[in-house]
Amino acid sequence: MAGRARFDFIHFMHYVHLPENQKDYPSLWVDFPNKYFDPEKGYSLYQRYLSELVLADKLGFDAIVVNEHHNTAYSMMPAPNLIAATLIPQVRNAKICVWGTPPNLEYPNRLAEEYAMLDVLSQGRLEVAFPLGTGMEYWANPINPSTARARYRESIDIILQAWTQDGPTKYYGDFYTYRYLNPWPRPVQKPHPPCYIVGTGSPETIDLAAQLGFGYASVFVTKPRARELNEKLRRTAAEHGHHIRPEQLPLQVITYVAETEQKAREEGIDHIRYFFEDALRTTPTFLAPPGYLSVEQLKMRAALADKLHGKFNFDAVNESFFVAVGTADQVVEQLEQWGEQMGTNHFVMLAAPGNMPNWKVVKNLNLIAQDVIPRVRVGTAYERRIAAE
Amino acid sequence: MPAQPIPAQFTRETHTINGVKTVVLTAGKGEPLVFLHGAGIWHGINFTLPWVEKFRVIVPFHPGFAESGDDPAMNDVQDYVMHYLDLFDALGIAKTRLVGFSLGGWLAAKFAVSHGDRVERLVLVAPAGLRGKERPQGDVLSLPPEQIPSLLVSNFDVIKPYLPENPKDLDFMGERYREGGTLARLLWEHPYDTKLPRYLHRLTMPTLLVWGEDDKLLSLKTAELWRQHLPKAEFKTFKGAGHLVLDEKREAVDAVTRFLS
Repeated sequence: MAGRARFDFIHFMHYVHLPENQKDYPSLWVDFPNKYFDPEKGYSLYQRYLSELVLADKLGFDAIVVNEHHNTAYSMMPAPNLIAATLIPQVRNAKICVWGTPPNLEYPNRLAEEYAMLDVLSQGRLEVAFPLGTGMEYWANPINPSTARARYRESIDIILQAWTQDGPTKYYGDFYTYRYLNPWPRPVQKPHPPCYIVGTGSPETIDLAAQLGFGYASVFVTKPRARELNEKLRRTAAEHGHHIRPEQLPLQVITYVAETEQKAREEGIDHIRYFFEDALRTTPTFLAPPGYLSVEQLKMRAALADKLHGKFNFDAVNESFFVAVGTADQVVEQLEQWGEQMGTNHFVMLAAPGNMPNWKVVKNLNLIAQDVIPRVRVGTAYERRIAAE
Repeated sequence: MPAQPIPAQFTRETHTINGVKTVVLTAGKGEPLVFLHGAGIWHGINFTLPWVEKFRVIVPFHPGFAESGDDPAMNDVQDYVMHYLDLFDALGIAKTRLVGFSLGGWLAAKFAVSHGDRVERLVLVAPAGLRGKERPQGDVLSLPPEQIPSLLVSNFDVIKPYLPENPKDLDFMGERYREGGTLARLLWEHPYDTKLPRYLHRLTMPTLLVWGEDDKLLSLKTAELWRQHLPKAEFKTFKGAGHLVLDEKREAVDAVTRFLS
């Protein structure tokens, strides 16, 4: 069975210095005025966030994860490959995960090149994800949301062709024509760096991961839904002749560990609230530009959004999503249980949620590294059971 | 639906045009008058009733709108021009009076530019399609759907009966989202046609330009742009009317009737 449990640290690099009147804005995405970005504060935040990612490597996390968003205080990483390149000389052991640049937002050959550069620079430590990109990215970039899925599919084809076939090759597609697809450099890892699809559970995206035998990570879906999606991926991938290994199903968990449960809640909840109430705040129109979703998905999500509407309630969030806030013992137990339910041994620790200050992030990472990781790494309950069978 | 948008005089026929289900409403007798609707027809076609007394009024639903089917491969305004060429052949319409409103005005102009022999007389009602300097320019894709209805009219009571009581009515939202997707396929990259002005001189048939003076989507400045390219066209504006000038002003409908008679 698959090896020991894997722990990643994901950072969203929120811009947290919001104006007093930020709640007057229905969205911190797409049209939130960029006059509120202060480059001096941005510099300090970059320094701090990079140091947290480097710390995770020193503490023995298996991977650090960065991602891409545009026009938003949610993220200071519109170009995550720049962050990855900055980190490579400082992050000596951990894998570097760019999860990732939406292929639609770059020329596919260029994305293949940039990822190959990172793989070579890191001596084969790169992992990538291909997100379709949130609806918000399509308001910020000059790409048609109504053809997003078709273009995305074509981009992935081109990238895989660039990585797996000796160039020069040709590609004549609906969106791109390549007369000489021949990118330098090529990745160290063969046939190419491990690939994942990250999504919110659209059926089209799961099918694509299944066809390609890629890993899949669902984000911002409820626990039962996430479990269904993992099961669906394993089943559909098998139909395509792919066996999905547990480590291909990264499970993102909002985590905060402290000495007591009460202390963990006192120190952690406000920042998780900020994450849901502020960082993620946007409008239905920005979430779903025209043609981006099927009508069925739109109606399903609109109905759900109505249900979730209202004030932040930690217990409700805790119930719906993968949130582990408590003592190390409690967090270990939660992770083992979820690992078993989700059929995974790959945990992505969202350990710097919202506007959490540096000292709490450092404390959290240390406690996770000392008291959680070694115990889960002995093997998840799921793995022990499989091994026994 | 809160109100029945299709008057009883109309009969409904379904055609398959190049594989796309196309629903066509027809009423009245006489010479054909084809009306090409805008980027949504949920506000009904009651305003066409005075035309029905004089003409055979034909209202096709565009692919991707209302009762017609979807075809994701139709991703260019030119595909709609070809669709109407096929539909006119299927309906046996050799030559017609053509009235186009908003997106339908753009379609009508683009159709008439290359198929002038099929167009007897042309009426463009607050047509979209030209790029001016002013903003907004009828770029409905940039507007939250819930804000659109009030921007369509001068007097909100005119369209209120056609809107659901619950602003979060899922079926209504879903239908508008579907039509928004159709629109995005056509004009996400450019909510205007940069080539159209180059060929507007080909509109040599008698042409009428109609505009509501309170149009909040395409202002009178856009009308001026059309007039520059169509110096011979008649031009009529109506006070107290917004973008949906035909729905709001019977005088506008009558002006079209007179022009087409």
